Amino acid sequence: MWSQVKQELAQSTARFLARFIGLLPGIAALIVALLASILLAWILATIVRRLLTSMHFDQRLARWGFPSLAEWSPLQSPTLLVAQGIATLVVVAGILIGVAAVAPEWTSLLVQSVFAYVPNVVGAVLVLVFGSIVARFLSRSVLIGAVNLNLRYARLLSVGVRWLVVVLAVAMALEHLRIAPGIVDLAFGILFGGIVFAMALAVGLGSKDLVTKSLERDAQKASDEHVQEPFRHV
Amino acid sequence: MQVEPIPQEVQEKIEVVESADLVVGVLAELNQESLVILCDALRTLSGSPRIAVLRDDHAVDPSVDIARTNSETAQNHATTFLVPWPLLRPDTPDTPMLSMSAAYQSVFAASEKLGARACCVIASKLETPEPDWVRQLAQPLLEDDVDLVVPRYARHKFEGLLNSSIIAPLMRCLYGRRIHNPLGPDLGVSRRLFEKMIGNDRSARMVGEHPIASLVPAAVCENLQICEVCVGARIYPPTDWMNFSSLLSQILSPIFADMERNAACWQRMRASLPVPAICDPVRVSEDAGTVDISRMVESFRLGNRDLEEIWGLVLPPSTLVELRKLSRLSLEQFRMPDELWVRIVFDFALAHRLRTINRDHLLKSMTPLYLAWVASYAHDLETGGATALEQRLERLSLAYESGKPYLVSRWRWPDRFNP
Repeated sequence: MWSQVKQELAQSTARFLARFIGLLPGIAALIVALLASILLAWILATIVRRLLTSMHFDQRLARWGFPSLAEWSPLQSPTLLVAQGIATLVVVAGILIGVAAVAPEWTSLLVQSVFAYVPNVVGAVLVLVFGSIVARFLSRSVLIGAVNLNLRYARLLSVGVRWLVVVLAVAMALEHLRIAPGIVDLAFGILFGGIVFAMALAVGLGSKDLVTKSLERDAQKASDEHVQEPFRHV
Repeated sequence: MQVEPIPQEVQEKIEVVESADLVVGVLAELNQESLVILCDALRTLSGSPRIAVLRDDHAVDPSVDIARTNSETAQNHATTFLVPWPLLRPDTPDTPMLSMSAAYQSVFAASEKLGARACCVIASKLETPEPDWVRQLAQPLLEDDVDLVVPRYARHKFEGLLNSSIIAPLMRCLYGRRIHNPLGPDLGVSRRLFEKMIGNDRSARMVGEHPIASLVPAAVCENLQICEVCVGARIYPPTDWMNFSSLLSQILSPIFADMERNAACWQRMRASLPVPAICDPVRVSEDAGTVDISRMVESFRLGNRDLEEIWGLVLPPSTLVELRKLSRLSLEQFRMPDELWVRIVFDFALAHRLRTINRDHLLKSMTPLYLAWVASYAHDLETGGATALEQRLERLSLAYESGKPYLVSRWRWPDRFNP
């Protein structure tokens, strides 16, 4: 009995060691691939960063009408964003090469699932970028318009509009990524509906008198200006 | 500038006239009596020119027909034709400047069609209209070979402020001609100038461009003759505060766009020169009284508080610091130095060129700054008369001229460090 146990133990240890020794070249290849890809990524990122800096890429991008990209970038620099993006791609490629050396079937499975998810990620990123641009444009329009109308709560309005659009964009992006879609739908519905309901209540009930007085004051001011305003601009 | 094609139904109306030496487009709302006076004044032009007077066909009294108007002309006088013209609609509420632009283009198109030597556009009503002021506007074009006749309105100190604060001094500093009302809007244009402008831009037409903003730059850069004609005070419409920032954007955008187009020309210009003026300046009486600037200062303070992130993209840090200091001053002490205002205008022009932010946002965000300057100007001239007004505006113009090296430097090297 004891000899059988010893034999089984020896056999399983031998199998494990044989399997482990069989994996060692793969693991070594994974580490080498990873280190090589990190080195290559660093070299490429440095070259790209220097090239883009010499081209004044950040300023050009702002001039071409994409100033909002800076907000999404590390240290507010799209140059760094591009350089780090390239570095990440190289490192990911290195990891995939390394994993392929360990177990080729894992790589194909991983690549398949990653590629199946890529359209969702791309869609979500596009929605976020577009949402960010629209949010910035609308919030600026509201801010400038409200300031020019002498509204004291211009910034509040602008921030409100910005967050409404951002929340909408984030909800759409999460929907695209299929991350907890039920919760996102529910949370978004509650949040958006809540905001609209709160505004309706505020205007309809709580701020009725305030709104009336404000409108009356504005109307009075406008009529006074027509009578007394000595300035003619255009 | 683009010349709009003339629609078929309008072609038929204009074919009755066949040809004309002078085309006068009447955009102002004149009653029938004023129109008859205008035609009578035009008939006194020497050389018996044929004159087509284009009038919005919705405003023309059907009882006055072309045949009757023509039959009144005498042998040695000019012949006038009253032509109902459906394209003259300058008063679209939201986009008055664009509508005005379309009306100008339509007058230019008619002038080209009729082979006119010159055209005039009458867009204003004057406080005390001299009967022959339109003739004075047309005469230098036909008799003295002048290419651009601009009006020199008698001015009240608080009227035409956008022109006084930005348009006239900016054009003077850029193009080196002291023109009081470079955008008219009552202007006389020779065929030579109009043809040059078409020739310049035929290959690259720009939709929505404002032709009157391009007239003075084109005339100066092409070395054409410009003269001023003194006329009475213009009646300005009351300020529509709801659309004021849009209007500011509509007016400044073509001027800044022209700066970009004519950069090579204006960078060569140095000091400014007066243009020949036909007549003596007309003086108007001014009421000396206090004005309320609190609303404008309040608007500026609000802008300084809430628009700083936008201004920060356009203005250098030193200007922002000065604006912050300005916003803390009391109403009595509130003064925006001309040098600061001039740098602000130049920086906005540069940001317009570089498209630092959306151009419409950029120009609309300038409104509180403009109001701050107006408040400061009103403070200075509260009790001043005509002489003080002239001196004040001359001081501003000189500030623009002395600030030009700053503009040229920033224009050429926008990325250079600017504290």
